[in-house]
Amino acid sequence: MITANENESWVTAHANVELNGSNIAWLNQQRELALRQFETVGLPGVRDEDWRYTNLRTLKSNDYALSTASPLEIELAETTNPRLVFVDGHLDVATSTGLSDSVTSLKDSLEIIEGYFSSTLPSKPHGFTALNTAYANDGYVVHLKSGQVLEGVLEVIFVSQSASVVSHTRNLIIAGANTQCTIVERHIGTHGTMYLNNVITEIIAGENAHVDHYKIQQESNDAFHMGGVFINQAKGAQLKSHNIALSALVTRNDIHSNLLGQGAHVEMNGLVIGQGRQHIDNHTEVNHAVPNCTSDEYYKTVLDDRSRSVFRGRIIVAKDAQLTNADQQNNNLLLSKNAEADCKPQLEIYADDVKCSHGATVGQLDPVSLFYLKSRGIDAESANALLTFAFANEVIERIKVDSVRQELTQIIAGELLSGLEELV
Amino acid sequence: MLKVKNLHASIDGKSILNGINLEIKPGEVHAIMGPNGSGKSTLSNVIAGRDGYEVTQGSIEYLGNDLLELAAEERACEGIFLAFQYPVEIPGVSNMAMLKAAMNSIRKYHGQEEIKAGEFLKLIRQKADLVEMKHEFLKRAVNQGFSGGEKKRNEILQMAMLEPKLALLDETDSGLDIDALKIVSHGVNALRSPERSMVLVTHYQRLLDYIVPDYVHVLANGKIVKSGDKSLALELEAKGYSWIEGMEDAVSDVQQAS
Repeated sequence: MITANENESWVTAHANVELNGSNIAWLNQQRELALRQFETVGLPGVRDEDWRYTNLRTLKSNDYALSTASPLEIELAETTNPRLVFVDGHLDVATSTGLSDSVTSLKDSLEIIEGYFSSTLPSKPHGFTALNTAYANDGYVVHLKSGQVLEGVLEVIFVSQSASVVSHTRNLIIAGANTQCTIVERHIGTHGTMYLNNVITEIIAGENAHVDHYKIQQESNDAFHMGGVFINQAKGAQLKSHNIALSALVTRNDIHSNLLGQGAHVEMNGLVIGQGRQHIDNHTEVNHAVPNCTSDEYYKTVLDDRSRSVFRGRIIVAKDAQLTNADQQNNNLLLSKNAEADCKPQLEIYADDVKCSHGATVGQLDPVSLFYLKSRGIDAESANALLTFAFANEVIERIKVDSVRQELTQIIAGELLSGLEELV
Repeated sequence: MLKVKNLHASIDGKSILNGINLEIKPGEVHAIMGPNGSGKSTLSNVIAGRDGYEVTQGSIEYLGNDLLELAAEERACEGIFLAFQYPVEIPGVSNMAMLKAAMNSIRKYHGQEEIKAGEFLKLIRQKADLVEMKHEFLKRAVNQGFSGGEKKRNEILQMAMLEPKLALLDETDSGLDIDALKIVSHGVNALRSPERSMVLVTHYQRLLDYIVPDYVHVLANGKIVKSGDKSLALELEAKGYSWIEGMEDAVSDVQQAS
């Protein structure tokens, strides 16, 4: 059992776990290094600048057991897509249809991830990231060889069904030169269940690779989700990250991209819908390390009740990264007086010939638009719902894959358009 | 249908309407003209129930009931429609979705069943043809990226769908070229009926060449200073708004006009 607010408790609890690949030297080295990092930094607290708006008191007040493999207890909607299912962080082979030469589980791919594993991570990871590196035992690996196209959409569903457990999962998307793939990661849980999901996806995009990554989060409303998406992009790599956070008690996502080769482009889309006492913290970082790269960030937040969101968007343009074109937008809609959005754009520009723009807004629904709808006979509640949906759906409309966009539109409509879903 | 009596209204403490008297009977088309700042748009906004206006005196009776007691959406459900001077762009909500929500909301208000999808589609296509709107516009977000003329046509399309009893057209002619004006006027004329009344708020006489009103009222400083038939508009056009200056104190007997 882990007593979460005692850092050494994390270490002792994991000490007896036989990790996959414990005979692999380079992996042991990585794990050992991460453990040292964790012992230095521990779990984050509000005194850490990057966590000052995100209080982890509730997370730390709980005890957690390490998750173990168990059969899937819930019914998943049918799909024609290849699919992987993880239950409490462990691959459920019985329900996974998407395994292939290129799509495997982490524990079966330890030899091929050498040099990739942890290569995208920040040099000073926070405690959850360090724990993840030290103890992640499973996850998915997509490994595309030069020129390979992963047809259709790969779905990966992470189901959390056991109460009071922690799981650390590590995923890797290794997309060689001129490859293409679309991957939809979904994190689901049953409301009322408390657990901690610590999950990191690393994306290593080779020259001119096209990677479309979706992260849809519908965790239990009593759960904690600590997530990371860390990306390295080579020359001409085109990346889209979509981060849709719909539920969990406390969410933290770190989404970073390192633009390491000229002509690389990253699009980061985010949508947060907060209700109740949910807290959602998104930290994005785009690191323009070389010239001629572009980044386009579009994050929107809808907050109701006493929910709270944090957006920290950092853009770093290195001294040599001339002709960078970076844009960042963060718009927050507050539906309740008690909701709070904190946004912090952070531009660090060391080059002199660049185009960087950013905008942040926090506001309510436009009264003129509301009157327009009401003057057409639409009742106040529906008018509010329609405009809120419209606000949120602008993020979804940026999704180019039809099937994913349509599904997400339906999900967002379900969240925001209760009773009016048939309108979309 | 509508009886406005001694209506005074202000916005942010500033008095805009200073005693409007107006009676409109079923089937009548009234034009309200006046210089900028005379209160024309305020009058239609107050009737439609826009927030921000305070009625300080007077009353509005609509179909025998106190209109001022109703919220904007209830007024719309009771058959009042305002075509906006500046139609609002609503990104993310399609024209069809908005109109369907509106129709169903109005039906619900009257205890009727929701419109069937097929029936709705047939109706909206038919009404789009009336204002010569391409059907692909129906799927686009409300007014987003529409030209000025397309926005105004869209207002008339909405009016045609919602079939109001009393339509208030606020400067529907502004920003229209002659072709668009003809299309919009054609749409409006097609909707004239013995049961449907209309109020045309306009700065210029031009619109009234295409939509011929039964009565014309001239507004200045928040009061109706002159009422007459369509010839009044022509006279006003010839003499200019300076003609009505000094008329503000004149007693306007609206009953004469209506």
